[in-house]
Amino acid sequence: MLKGAEIVLRCVRAEGVDLVFGYPGGAIMPLYDALDGSGIRHVLTRHEQGAAFAAEGYARATGKVGVAIATSGPGATNLVTGIADAKMDSVPLVCITGQVRSAMIGSDAFQETDVFGVTLSLTKWSRLVRTIDEIPEVIAEGFHWARSGRPGPVVIDIPTDLLKAKKEFSGPVKFTPHAQASEAKAEGAFSDTIVALLQKAARPVALVGAGAKLSGAIPELRRLLDDLNIPTFATVHGLGAVPPQAPYYLGMVGMHGTRAANMALHETDLLLVFGARLDDRVTGDPTRFAPNAKIVHFEIDPAQLDRVRPCELPVIGNLTDTIPEFHAKIRPASLPDFSGWRTVACGAERAELDPRGLAQPTIRFLDELFSRLPQDNVVIADVGQHQMWAAQRYRSSSPRGFITSGGLGAMGFALPAAVGVQLAKPETCVLCVSGDGGFQMNIQELATVYRLGLPIKMVIVDNKYLGMVRQWQQLFYDRNYAETDLSDNPDFVEIAKAYKIHGWRLNEAAMAQFPVSEETGDSIDNFLRSPEPELLVFDCHPEANVYPMVPAGAALSEMVFEDE
Amino acid sequence: MAMQVFHIRYRNAQGTLMRILNAISRRGLDLTSVHAEAAGTEHAVTVQVEVTPKQIGQLCREWYAIVDVIEVRSSAGLREHGVAEWAPLPPASANATESARAALA
Repeated sequence: MLKGAEIVLRCVRAEGVDLVFGYPGGAIMPLYDALDGSGIRHVLTRHEQGAAFAAEGYARATGKVGVAIATSGPGATNLVTGIADAKMDSVPLVCITGQVRSAMIGSDAFQETDVFGVTLSLTKWSRLVRTIDEIPEVIAEGFHWARSGRPGPVVIDIPTDLLKAKKEFSGPVKFTPHAQASEAKAEGAFSDTIVALLQKAARPVALVGAGAKLSGAIPELRRLLDDLNIPTFATVHGLGAVPPQAPYYLGMVGMHGTRAANMALHETDLLLVFGARLDDRVTGDPTRFAPNAKIVHFEIDPAQLDRVRPCELPVIGNLTDTIPEFHAKIRPASLPDFSGWRTVACGAERAELDPRGLAQPTIRFLDELFSRLPQDNVVIADVGQHQMWAAQRYRSSSPRGFITSGGLGAMGFALPAAVGVQLAKPETCVLCVSGDGGFQMNIQELATVYRLGLPIKMVIVDNKYLGMVRQWQQLFYDRNYAETDLSDNPDFVEIAKAYKIHGWRLNEAAMAQFPVSEETGDSIDNFLRSPEPELLVFDCHPEANVYPMVPAGAALSEMVFEDE
Repeated sequence: MAMQVFHIRYRNAQGTLMRILNAISRRGLDLTSVHAEAAGTEHAVTVQVEVTPKQIGQLCREWYAIVDVIEVRSSAGLREHGVAEWAPLPPASANATESARAALA
């Protein structure tokens, strides 16, 4: 006879899980009581949101399912932002929450929340477990949906009495999925159609999104792009899918994308989309998005098609299937000569401008930092101006090298996510770049970093403002900096010290000389190579702005490059 | 905006009907009527809702993405396009021939 809690952990272990993140509390206590000897390591974060983001970081770095555990009521509701983030960015996440006793459900008992209802619209799949007998099936099915198709978050809510109850346990079960409506696959004819479209095209381009990474189709995609040899760019989650040194690669596209990428996307007459949602940060004004283009959209999730703008040819399916099928029809020699278009799109006239203006020292700092990273590295960016600067400046061929909260844009993501990444990749240099606003949203996870001795390198780009909001206030609200002033920030170095973590500060003057002085360079090298956790605060100009920028509601061709 | 009727077959697992209805409520659409009942081994729900043509596509795709939805059919709006009553709305590229014809047009 095993307790329900032991059955849960055995089933979770059978899914290949050996690391979970969580925070204990009343209703989930039986599960915590059973952790010893389960073969599963539990990492205590200092807030349930930290647990959800840490599990996400682990999942994003490895492609495996991340697991977060919380108690009922506030414990579970504190997971919600992480669940929403996982939904938006297609992260396989399983959240296991304790619930009040079965007999008390619906009575507004202490710490009772309708977690199933609260998370219904944010989850790919969820269950409120009703009997101890169904635990193995529910765990198996939950993990299946979290990792299958377009990955996403799953919530499994278990009343505390079921965790304490006992039953005979014959072992974990396998879930056999029923046929899904959305599993309709593209038929072979699509390849011929795309080839025909390429034959008629003059200015074809390729856009790569997160789906390319999630599907595991990076090798297939890179081979295809090499043969197509057409201007190619990536969304923020597609960064790393295409080697930055590829001659046809134009960088990031969208609101803060490169001039070359946005111009090519505006001018194209045939847009091949590989696993991207085409959200509003990528398209700008949807009525003027790729106005002359036919769109071929490779996508696993039919719900993502035609959301912003209709596509002419949807190709539904896993990219590991559809890309090779398409590639098999491509004969590079028989394609039209796109060299003239490539020269225009990738030419020097559209090359990135040197950093200038008030942001120049910060961009130089990030360039210096990234150039000194060990080969094996992962950069995790929080949300805001520093996120976009990092996305613009970080160059990596590693598909999982750049991690950020892109769809939801959840401030406070980076530090706990870095905890998950570092645990997943103990030998890797994990660099966490935050702003002063976002860092304070989960600053308590410094305690987790210290407790685990994780050698995470934390950088705060400190402009003493909610920088991106302030930038919009400057540009679109007549500089009315309403409630974005953070000039009374605490001393982050002292804060780190209180958590027994070494911190230091670098100011803009250190970037006046570029390349930086030997002394500054050595300091950065020592920071990146320290075996201990380290915090570096970089003082950024309060009114530094991120450029290029496509103003909200503008077309991609209407980029702004500097302060007026 | 036009009144539209959708007929959705689904497995009656926890929350499936709520997910179907949530696709409507999250868009701020007025749900005129809902009728759900068992249909053989499965369940079916018929909803009447006022939508734009773009929202028809969005709704159908979102419903298809729900794990336990089996089939989505629509009536009124499609009649205008000469499609048979209660025509099924599969994910677009399942019908490759029509998609290809449209793309090359």
